Amino acid sequence: MVAAARTSAPIANRQAVAALKARFAQQNWIFAGVLFALLALVPLLPVVEGWMATQAALVIIYILAAQGVSVLTGHTGLVTVGHGGFLAIGAYTSALMSHYLGADLLSGMICGGLMAALIGCLLGLIFLRLAGAFMAIGTLGFAFFIGTIVNNVPIFNGRTGFSLPPNNLFGVIDIGDFGFYYVCLVTLALMTLFMYSLVRSGVGRAFKALRDAEKAAQSSGVNRLFYRTLAFTISAFITGVAGALNGHIVSFVSAEVYADIWYSVDILVAAIVGGSAMLFGPFIGGVFIVMVPFFFEELADFSFILKGIVLIGVLMLAPAGVADVAARPFRAMRQRALAQAGGATAREHGRTGGSPGGAE
Amino acid sequence: MTQLRCENITVSFGGVVACNNISLEVPTGKIVGLIGPNGAGKTTLFNVLSRFQDHDSGHIYYRDQDIDRKKPHQMVELGMARTFQNINLFGEQSTLDNILIGAHHLIGNPFADMFSLPAARRTERSLVQRANEIAEMLHMQDELDTLVKNLPYGYRKRVELARALASQPELILLDEPVAGCNDEETDELRGIVQRLNRELGITIFLVEHDMSMVMNVCDYIYVINFGSNLADGTPAEVQANADVISAYLGEEHDDAA
Amino acid sequence: MLGQQIMSGLATGSLYALTAVAVVVVFRNTRTINLAQGDFSMMGAFIAIILLKTYGLNYYATIVLCVLAIMALGVLTERLVMRPIADSDWLTLFTATLGVYYILHGVAGWIWGRDTKAFPVTFDPTPVHIFGTVVSHGHLINMGWAAAIGVVLYVFFKYTKQGIAMRAVTDDPETAKLMGIPVRFIVTLTWAMAGFLAAFIGILIAPIIYVAPEMMDEVLIKGYVAAVFGGLYSIPGAIIGALMIGVAENLAGGYLGSHYKTATAFAMIVVLLTFRPQGLFGIQKRREI
Repeated sequence: MVAAARTSAPIANRQAVAALKARFAQQNWIFAGVLFALLALVPLLPVVEGWMATQAALVIIYILAAQGVSVLTGHTGLVTVGHGGFLAIGAYTSALMSHYLGADLLSGMICGGLMAALIGCLLGLIFLRLAGAFMAIGTLGFAFFIGTIVNNVPIFNGRTGFSLPPNNLFGVIDIGDFGFYYVCLVTLALMTLFMYSLVRSGVGRAFKALRDAEKAAQSSGVNRLFYRTLAFTISAFITGVAGALNGHIVSFVSAEVYADIWYSVDILVAAIVGGSAMLFGPFIGGVFIVMVPFFFEELADFSFILKGIVLIGVLMLAPAGVADVAARPFRAMRQRALAQAGGATAREHGRTGGSPGGAE
Repeated sequence: MTQLRCENITVSFGGVVACNNISLEVPTGKIVGLIGPNGAGKTTLFNVLSRFQDHDSGHIYYRDQDIDRKKPHQMVELGMARTFQNINLFGEQSTLDNILIGAHHLIGNPFADMFSLPAARRTERSLVQRANEIAEMLHMQDELDTLVKNLPYGYRKRVELARALASQPELILLDEPVAGCNDEETDELRGIVQRLNRELGITIFLVEHDMSMVMNVCDYIYVINFGSNLADGTPAEVQANADVISAYLGEEHDDAA
Repeated sequence: MLGQQIMSGLATGSLYALTAVAVVVVFRNTRTINLAQGDFSMMGAFIAIILLKTYGLNYYATIVLCVLAIMALGVLTERLVMRPIADSDWLTLFTATLGVYYILHGVAGWIWGRDTKAFPVTFDPTPVHIFGTVVSHGHLINMGWAAAIGVVLYVFFKYTKQGIAMRAVTDDPETAKLMGIPVRFIVTLTWAMAGFLAAFIGILIAPIIYVAPEMMDEVLIKGYVAAVFGGLYSIPGAIIGALMIGVAENLAGGYLGSHYKTATAFAMIVVLLTFRPQGLFGIQKRREI
């Protein structure tokens, strides 16, 4: 009988599988470590000028914002077209603190993130019963709502906006372009670490369970209200922090940029092109969404067209994102190794081992 | 003692009455079956008992505690787990992850958990350990890392069962556990259900169409028809009951027509 | 004053209604939330400017050509972008229309620039007295057009073979396919209809607002909100929703200040979705999108 043949895998096999998994995890850490080390070394090259560091910082900001989207859209299955709203909340909170109170960058980031998280929590509760397309429209409406507020409520100074003092941190009056880049990089490293922990935790499992099979999740004890709201809150926090940095990078905020839906759309596209259910996805998406307009600076409209074409191409060829395709060979390799070690059937195995960069 | 009991449950959708004054009792430690022709209201009743469906009137008691107002996710904390008729799994994830989600209510503080604090990691390790044991018990330890969508049908049924077990339940509601399985798979699942009951002392309440399964494993059977109680008794009593026979004959007659 | 606000609210609402109807028709036949719907209208408005100004065509000829051009754009979108991914989940479909949104924005900006332009046919402000309120002539004309298009749609869905086939696809695509209805053709027709409506909206709304690549963003959001009133499914529901939004925001604009218009639509959607997530006229069946 089939069952009899399967009853007991030799214990040695299972130990080998466990050892392999540990090694895969180690490889992920090494990959991430090397990546961040390289990113940290870039500004030290003599050819790198301040504006380049600023451009790189912008990429990081978009990666962070897309990470926020990926918590909600990729891992919890709630599509958001309104994260530009959270970006604006983070940016304005930090900008107002800096403008009126002279607060430093760190407290601005924390408060920007917390304010976004608070609003995100409320929005999660308001949209509790929404799913699918209704959620997309609801969040789009939210972004427009925030746009109306920053455009019209006097304290936000509308389209005139207001400029911020130089970025100060830990008593340094102006940390400069390179300092700002390092602030962004450290933030990204911490957020990525958190994301890595989150997607592998029971909470991350609950998010994915709500995404894939809501009823089964609930019958397993996942409190839909709590975890949906939690996903909204975490997602909004991360994007809020990105927003705070986004205000400080140009030392200027105004409704001119925060009142329309481009931020919302761009962040969502970054997450989807990169791969919203993959840890490494937002990295690719962030580079894409910032660097396309950068290379076509003279031809802003052409960069729109290019973004659109690439987006549609990615959807046709790699609906789960570029990171998913990039990780495929590594995943297959690991699956083969796992199958060999486990002595199991030749059936395709799971992605428990993960892939480089902790791609989930 | 009764593990689960419901009294005069009535549910209607619009004008259609799906359950009409249904009462039944699942004694602790027993395997109880619920049968009835298609459209008799079995699935609705199951959803009521697991709190996915609100009932218009009547009461549900779990260990004599009124649970009319409980939410679906609170049931596992009480000790009740369930499976679904149409397999309801997380296909893009491995068997292990699917089992672990069943143990969700044991993860402790979610905030410690999401930051992978040391305590959370210890909990996680013990949950994985338990998931391994469950997989072994259900003869699927070789498939722990396989994506569920790549598993054959009978296996997926077992993963559902494994997920329910991971919550350390006292009572499991099985919604057609062998529907769609071939004879071999049915035999194996029947053996598993009996072992869960005898070795782990888990009370089982199951809806099933496969009569050989129901008559062989159940200690007691409830029959419902047109949303109402029709009969109940031991398998032998139910098999001899004239109302039951005519209800099923009627169904066959309808099918033929 | 109040009657006045309501009348001009109905006038704007009737334009939202056309957008909402287009959103609903596309969604229920293809599961696609079409984010490019507004940009279809925007392209229509730009083409109309060219036809009117550069070629000196008359208004009605312009409308005909414009409608044909934008219907072609709709069909092209379906053929090149949507059909290859037709079996994907709704998020992929939605994101693909985002790609179209980018492309059309880019194309319009590239050819016509980012500056706002005035539409050559101006909005006739001559007051007309009706039901004891004063409405501008242009508003009345817009309402007339919207009503006429509504009648055309009604006749189409009720009496024509294609319209009935379209409804069959809406109700149950699988059965429709089994019954020999050419589902692919119906989907193409759906996108053509989206283009048809979009062209009218573009031409009718351009004199009221302005012409620029982002001219339709706000109108589209309100069209979505209105569509949600109908559960993204019911055309009458979407129309009623659109008229309600038009009136409500006009009242808010009149009594609270014009800045609160957009916020009104959002407030309405929040209240609606909180209490009836399936929409005011929605049906539960279609929730598994």
